[in-house]
Amino acid sequence: MANKKINKKNIAKLLGDWSKEFELFIPSKDEGIAKFAKWDGKDTSFLDWHRNTIVPPKAIFFPPVEEMFSFQKDKQSYHIELPSSDGQKQLIFGIRPYDANALTILDKTFKDTYEDPYYLPKRKNTVLVGLGCTKPYDSCFCTSLGGSPTDSANVDLMLTDIGDEFLVEGVTDKGRELMSMSSELEEATEADETRAKETKEATYQKVTRQLDTKDIEEKLLSSFEIQDLWEEIAAKCISCGICTLLCPTCYCFDINDELIKDRGTRFRSWDSCSFPVYTKMPMENPRIEKWRRVRNKVCHKYEFYPMNFDVIACTGCGRCVRQCPVNWDITQTLEKMQAKVQSG
Amino acid sequence: MAIADISDRRRYLAQGNVYLPHIAIIEKIIDETPGVRTFHFNFKDEKLREEFTFDSGQFGEYSVLGIGEAPFCISSSPTRRDHLEFTAQRVGRLTNALHRLSVGAEIGFRGPYGNSFPLDFLEGKNLVFVGGGIALAPLRSLIWNVIDNRDKYKNIDIIYGARSPADLCFKYDLDAWDKDKSVSMATTVDKGDESWTGREGFVPQVLEQVAPSPDNAVAIVCGPPIMIRFTFPVLGKLGFTPEQIITTLEKRMKCGIGKCGRCNIGNLYVCRDGPVFTYAQIKNFISSEY
Repeated sequence: MANKKINKKNIAKLLGDWSKEFELFIPSKDEGIAKFAKWDGKDTSFLDWHRNTIVPPKAIFFPPVEEMFSFQKDKQSYHIELPSSDGQKQLIFGIRPYDANALTILDKTFKDTYEDPYYLPKRKNTVLVGLGCTKPYDSCFCTSLGGSPTDSANVDLMLTDIGDEFLVEGVTDKGRELMSMSSELEEATEADETRAKETKEATYQKVTRQLDTKDIEEKLLSSFEIQDLWEEIAAKCISCGICTLLCPTCYCFDINDELIKDRGTRFRSWDSCSFPVYTKMPMENPRIEKWRRVRNKVCHKYEFYPMNFDVIACTGCGRCVRQCPVNWDITQTLEKMQAKVQSG
Repeated sequence: MAIADISDRRRYLAQGNVYLPHIAIIEKIIDETPGVRTFHFNFKDEKLREEFTFDSGQFGEYSVLGIGEAPFCISSSPTRRDHLEFTAQRVGRLTNALHRLSVGAEIGFRGPYGNSFPLDFLEGKNLVFVGGGIALAPLRSLIWNVIDNRDKYKNIDIIYGARSPADLCFKYDLDAWDKDKSVSMATTVDKGDESWTGREGFVPQVLEQVAPSPDNAVAIVCGPPIMIRFTFPVLGKLGFTPEQIITTLEKRMKCGIGKCGRCNIGNLYVCRDGPVFTYAQIKNFISSEY
């Protein structure tokens, strides 16, 4: 199917058509925190932001807190019940290329060994409509990780800003099916295609921060035991965990129970390797020192995850740089590490 | 050691969901030491009771619903299958709740998870078991397993120690192995009391005194991290190569299936890639991360 386009004024109508079929999520502001939320049927203000959400869209598939099952205690016996799932089809509108890439990375963990029965069904029921970025932040470095601000590799349908309109590209069958569900889309002209190409090239050049990922696994392995390096890197970290909680590829979770009288819930919630309690055992804690936790976080993303799944667990979204309260910076950290390894 | 092959274990999923526990019933409780209890249990579901199998070294996630869940190895042997056993020390919220249970109480169980001791690799070899404290639990599953198939293995040496005579776990097993002429047993305590007539000294020191030969031998080690750290160098001195040393590790775990993140040693997850490792697999990381 040939590419199409849509006038920005008609986006609400397009979303309206899709919302008949899908539960629709758009970038939204909840008490000032930008995150994906259910569409209210009219809001398209996010089109003027040119900025990404603070909370990554992983939260739709892997919520900050999620019920795993509930149980009822009857005398000595337990009755266990799974949360009801309506299998509702979902559509995420306006996902950034690097956040979509992050979902492809997360899939590997949730599929590994045992399939995760909460994340994967939601992932399967969801269509991703990407929105190319036009104004990368100074903290963005997606081009260093094989991506681009307008990359369509991990979405079903891709939108690129061409002025008053978006160029609409069908990437997968699911995406092309979406195009046929609305009469708001018009045929794209050759001039539209050219403009989209120009936007893509120009935006790519706007990502100025670079991270050298060459041989990064080997370099991290050889720096693993250099304690003063990691102590220096970790010095200003306050172990608040925000870089991991807001990371689109971080997936660590805790599991806990809540009991009210005889009725209880088991739920999982986002956890962070930045917290000392994360690895705490009754007699020992292998990562009680902060530098060990920082080292684990960095190595997990750029060394251990590639060892297990052949992909770096970072998409260069820059959230960890922007949201850190003490300006800890992953790209500077890796530069420091590389300089140390090179100098021996 | 290969990543555990889970293809034949999926049938134990409750309602198709890997996080859902099966209900099991406590059948017997044994006080091992003042803070350690062994629980005998069986599944409530009769079909599962019949079908359930596991391998020595594997673990389960045990629930007291409303309190939480924690991993413990299955401490009984798969060769003795009229019930299952696990052993827990009373230290935190969950283990305190477990210790408050009586016979007949229901617990949750999911598993078995992780890999297991490589029986094929151990066959035809001299086996040296080195254990400390409550960490005899996973070794015990393997020890009974090899004793029940005694012809397949050569010499069996067991070196086991605890802080004090009162801290020795599985005394009924220690007695049985002591009496078994086909097993050579050395029990030690860090410090004895007035009635103690046996060995005194830390496990690594006793291992050095017993000095088992590394020829055609495999050492299987499990104990608190401090014991493990001091035992590996002694085995090295005795001539055991990193490939000849097998250990089973314990970490804080939640999911048990390689997703929640916290039990990693480098790129390996203790729950998914272990808990059984050769020293060769983990020696790069163990000095600083275990």
